[in-house]
Amino acid sequence: MSTVAAGQRPSPLTLSRKRERESTPPLPLAGEGWGEGRRTATAEPRWVQWTLIALALGFMTLFLFIPLATVFAEAFKKGWQVYLTAITEPDALAAIKLTLIAAAISVPLNLVFGLAAAWAIAKFDFRGKQLLLTLIDLPFSVSPVIAGLIYVLVFGLQGWFGEWLREHDLKIIFAVPGIVLATVFVTFPFVARELIPLMQAQGIEQEEAARVLGAGGWQILRRVTLPNVQWALLYGVILCNARAMGEFGAVSVVSGHIRGQTNTMPLHIEIAYNEYQFAAAFAVASLLAALALVTLALKYLVERRLQQEKRGIPQVDPALAVNLNPRGGRAGLARTRGHS
Amino acid sequence: MSIAVRQLNKRFGATVACDHIDLDIPSGELVALLGPSGCGKTTLLRIIAGLEVPDSGHVLFHGEDATHTDVRERQVGFVFQHYALFGHMTIFENVAFGLRVRPKSTRPPEAEIRKKVMALLELVQLAFLADRYPHQLSGGQRQRIALARALAVEPQVLLLDEPFGALDAKVRKELRRWLRRLHDEVHVTSVFVTHDQDEAMEVADRVVVMNHGKVEQQGSPDQVYDHPATPFVLQFLGDVNLFHGRVEQGAGEVSYVRPHELEIVAEAGADTWPVTLAQTLTVGPQTRLEFRRDGDQGFIDVELPRERWNVLREQLRLAPGIRVHLRPRRVTRFQAGAAVA
Repeated sequence: MSTVAAGQRPSPLTLSRKRERESTPPLPLAGEGWGEGRRTATAEPRWVQWTLIALALGFMTLFLFIPLATVFAEAFKKGWQVYLTAITEPDALAAIKLTLIAAAISVPLNLVFGLAAAWAIAKFDFRGKQLLLTLIDLPFSVSPVIAGLIYVLVFGLQGWFGEWLREHDLKIIFAVPGIVLATVFVTFPFVARELIPLMQAQGIEQEEAARVLGAGGWQILRRVTLPNVQWALLYGVILCNARAMGEFGAVSVVSGHIRGQTNTMPLHIEIAYNEYQFAAAFAVASLLAALALVTLALKYLVERRLQQEKRGIPQVDPALAVNLNPRGGRAGLARTRGHS
Repeated sequence: MSIAVRQLNKRFGATVACDHIDLDIPSGELVALLGPSGCGKTTLLRIIAGLEVPDSGHVLFHGEDATHTDVRERQVGFVFQHYALFGHMTIFENVAFGLRVRPKSTRPPEAEIRKKVMALLELVQLAFLADRYPHQLSGGQRQRIALARALAVEPQVLLLDEPFGALDAKVRKELRRWLRRLHDEVHVTSVFVTHDQDEAMEVADRVVVMNHGKVEQQGSPDQVYDHPATPFVLQFLGDVNLFHGRVEQGAGEVSYVRPHELEIVAEAGADTWPVTLAQTLTVGPQTRLEFRRDGDQGFIDVELPRERWNVLREQLRLAPGIRVHLRPRRVTRFQAGAAVA
């Protein structure tokens, strides 16, 4: 090939040979090499595919499956009896109850807040919209521990309202209200973040249509907006609930770790573990892990519905998007010829 | 119900969408708001519907000021360009929506709703789709359902925003004839927005030509086509050749001649221009000829029926490079200063 003179075009034959030599590994010819499956232009060779899959699987086994299995194995290591005792002892039951209470209050609250925020942001124009979006994201960007500390600073005994709260015999920090507040804060973005993009993509045409047809605000929300986002809403609620039950950092700061009173499940697990009660720690941990598995399964189901839903949105139909431009040619200003 | 618009103004930031608009729409007419995109026609329609609030000016329904009447009380039907059907409801429920959301006191009983919805679905010839969902329908079917839904509340005024804009050419043609027939049947005052002059000319009783937030001209399709009030109207409604102060009167005027109003003749005359044929193009029944003027070498377009062209070609031995003369059958003149675009 190096003998090709300057300016002389290499023949197609030499070119194709050259390309063949440079490609490693060589393209398998028909009936040769890598089995019967025909390779497409974008597929990697089989050995690359398998290596990557093995790597990914190995990684997941090591860091995901084995720890998960360990949780259940450790939990049942000393048999059913110990397991049952561990999760039915009063402190554990109190922790489970508190976790459920915190989730039962914070999830509905954030469902309402998230829906209201998403509705306002996606369907209306107002000053400060960007600021509101940033505020909604705040719990994602602030460390949960800081969030907890802020509540201690505001509502704690030495805090801004400490004096007033004590006078009125109200306890927020180191009590249930503080735990609920902290949980509400850290789980705030989930529902809103899930709804905003979908609602923005859906636009406001359907709401306008409903209004022209005589529907009032509540009717529009109930009959048009909510059904259009129901699966995204459920998805947001599932994520919100998972986080509400699993939250550790913020709750840990405001809880005070009073056994049987202000311990949630994650806090209870930590205490038990630190006191070498491994069976008890892992037993309660297995409940949280089971919750995670159930959440995953639900999330998968809802996600599938959500995908179907998104495909069904007429507004983002690509066939329509093409037609958004007015047709050219004789529409618009027709051809004009000028002479002077 | 008649609609009147008085001194209407609306701006979005620096963009003026409606600039002192005055408009009268008699009861029972089908009116087209025609203009290029961004001329404010959709904004005007939305203000009439009550979906936008004007900065100043008034909208009168049947002589009564409705400028600040809530959308819900205006008794208008609105058809959106992209249908805006409720995706999670069946076609039947979509059409029934306007009846179901009424307060209990005025809501018709279920049997009556059923009867009415089915009658409307018959009217748009889609009764067999009652149990389907919008995403299972074609674009043309969806638009007809959107119309049935708008008619279900028995609106006094029907407003349509680019109703055929999202459809392909063939369906669009069918649907606009269908809309015309439907209007002759239902006779509700209707206003539709379009940027397509053929559509406006074919469907509407009256055409309102808009540009830059202003009404350039309003009148019957023939009026605006034959007697354009401004150069913009003339140019927007079809192709046109433009001459600066060369024909008869001299400077200060601009003359416009439509391509199909030029005659090709062999002999020079007092009212003809000497030209050379540059190229020809035949599309369907029409032939389009491109001539170059002697002197300034400017282009002139001529359009004539295919058959006529075949005859002329024999008679005058026409081919690119052959010199002939053009005689305008009709010339429209405007002062040179008149705004064009």
